[in-house]
Amino acid sequence: MAFLNPSSPTSEKLEKQFVEFRHHLEESGNLRERIQAVATEIDSVTRIIYASLLLVHQSLSVSEVIEKAKAQIEVLKEHYSRLSEIVRECPGQYYRYHGDWKSETQTVVSLLAFMHWLETGTLVLHSEVEEKLGLIPTEFGLDVDDYLVGICFMSNELPRYVVNQVTAGDYDCPRKVLKFLTDLHAAFRMLNLRNDFLRKKFDGMKYDLRKVEEVFYDVKIRGLAANGDSVGEKQAQGQS
Amino acid sequence: MKDMMGSNPRGPLKPPMMGDNGGGGLSKLPMMGDNGCGGLSRLPMMGDNGGGGPWKPPMIGDNGDGVIGATWEGAMKKARTMSTETETESSSMKDAFSKYADYLNNINDKRERVVKASRDITMNSKKVIFQVHRMSKQNKEEVLDKAVKDLAAVNDQYLSRLVKELQGTDFWKLRRAYSPGVQEYVEAATLCNFCKTGTLLTLDEINATLLPLSDPSVEPLQINILDYILGLADLTGELMRLAIGRISEGELDFAQKICSFVREIYRNLTLIAPEMDDSSDMKQKMEVMLQSVMKIESACFSVHVRGSEYIPLLGSADTSYPLLGMPDLE
Repeated sequence: MAFLNPSSPTSEKLEKQFVEFRHHLEESGNLRERIQAVATEIDSVTRIIYASLLLVHQSLSVSEVIEKAKAQIEVLKEHYSRLSEIVRECPGQYYRYHGDWKSETQTVVSLLAFMHWLETGTLVLHSEVEEKLGLIPTEFGLDVDDYLVGICFMSNELPRYVVNQVTAGDYDCPRKVLKFLTDLHAAFRMLNLRNDFLRKKFDGMKYDLRKVEEVFYDVKIRGLAANGDSVGEKQAQGQS
Repeated sequence: MKDMMGSNPRGPLKPPMMGDNGGGGLSKLPMMGDNGCGGLSRLPMMGDNGGGGPWKPPMIGDNGDGVIGATWEGAMKKARTMSTETETESSSMKDAFSKYADYLNNINDKRERVVKASRDITMNSKKVIFQVHRMSKQNKEEVLDKAVKDLAAVNDQYLSRLVKELQGTDFWKLRRAYSPGVQEYVEAATLCNFCKTGTLLTLDEINATLLPLSDPSVEPLQINILDYILGLADLTGELMRLAIGRISEGELDFAQKICSFVREIYRNLTLIAPEMDDSSDMKQKMEVMLQSVMKIESACFSVHVRGSEYIPLLGSADTSYPLLGMPDLE
C-alpha cells in the first residue's frame, strides 16, 4: 500500500511532473502577458490612425490625411517587430497565442487597406501588408484569415466615404468605389468559406455594396455624374 | 476577363460549392438588380470562376503559411508589373484571391480530415475505456491485456493518421480540431496504465509512444500540456466509475487506491488550473473532478462504516483486511 503514502516514489514522480507543468504554464502565461501588452499598444496606435483617417469624411485632401496616418505606420512596425521577437521565443507556437493579437491585426489590415485604396484606388494584397508592417512570412507572417477579415472591415468604411464625397461635390467617386467594391465582392466569392467570423463579415459586405449602388444610382439618375452641378437637396436622399 | 473564364477548366465543376459561399444570397437581393448598375452583371460571371482558381498547389502544403507565402510573392510581383489599367487591376485582385482561395481550401480540407481523425480516436479510445470497465476480480488480467492491445491499435491505426495529417504544420493552428480526440486518448491511455501499474502515465511517456508514428525528418506531433491536463481531468470521472464498480465487487483495496490517486491528481491540478490557456473550461472540469473525488470518498466511507454488514455478503474473507487498515490511510 505504498501508493497511499504521499511521499512514495509514485507520488513523487506524479508531483514532479505537475511541478514541471506549472513552470511551463507560468512561463507561457508570462509570454502571453507580454504579447497582450504589445497588442494593447498596437490597439492604441490603430486608434490614432483611425482618428486621423476619419478626416477624409470631412473633405480634407487625401494626401494630407494620409501623411498624418502614415507617420504612425513606423510605430506599428516597431510594435510588430517586438511581437515577432516575443513569439520567436516559442517556435512553432504562433497560433497558440494568435488570439491575443488577432483582432488588433485585423483592424491594422483594414486601416492599411483603406489608406492604400485612398492612395492608389487598388486593393492592398496580403504580401503587401506584410511588407508594410515589416513582417517576415517565415517567422511571423500575417494570418490569411486576419487579412481577409481586415479587408471586410475596410469595405464597411466605403459607403460612408462615398456619401460624404458626393456631398462634397465629387460625383465621380461613387462610380469608382462601386467598381472597386464590385470587384472585391466578386473576388471574395471565389473563396470557399467556413461558417466562421470571416463568412459573417463577408456576408455583411453586400450591404456596403448595396449602399454604394444606391448612392451611385441617386447621382446618376439626376445626371450629376456627367456634369458637376451642385444640387444640394438631392444628395440628402443618397444618405438616407 | 472573359478569357480568364474560358481558360479555367475547373470553373464548371464547382457550382455547388459556390452556392455555399454565401454569394448566392446576393442574387436574392432584389434591390441590387433594381439599380441597373453595370457592375452587377459581372457578379454571376465572376462567381462561375469556381473556388479553386486556375492552379492548385500540392494538396497539403507542408506548412500552409510557408508554402503559400512563397507563391504569393510571385503573385505580388505580377501585380506590380501590371499596368494600373482597371481591367488588369481587377484581374490581379482575382489572381491574388485565387491564391487565398487555394490556401483556404487546403486548410479547410485539412481541418476536416483532422476532425475526422480526431473523431475516430475519440470513438476507439472510448471503446478502450469501456473495455477497462469490463474488468472484474476474476478476469482482470485478461480484460486489461485486451484493453492495452486495443489501445495499441488506436495508436497504430488512428493516432498515426492524425500524426500524418498534422505533419509539418503548426500544431496549434488546428488544435481545436484534434484536441477532443487527443484528450480522450490521454484518458484511455492513463486509465489503462493506472489499472496495470497503479501509477500515472506521464506526458513524456505518452509522447514517447508517438515518436515512432511520425516521419523522423519532420517535427513530430507531441501532445501538448493543455490537452494532457484536460484528459487527466476527464480521467477522474472514469476512475470514479471504476472505484464504484470495484467497491460493489468488494475490492475495497483497489477502490482505496483509486481514491488516493484521484485525490492526488485533483490536488495537483488545483495549482495548475488557473494557469491554463482556457481556464474557464478547466474550471468547470475542476468542479466535476471534485464531485468525482467526493463520490469515491463517500462510497469508501459507506463501506467503511457499514463494512461489518457488507463483507459477509460478499463472502470473501480477505476483503475484510484492507478495511481494518483503512484508518491509517486517512
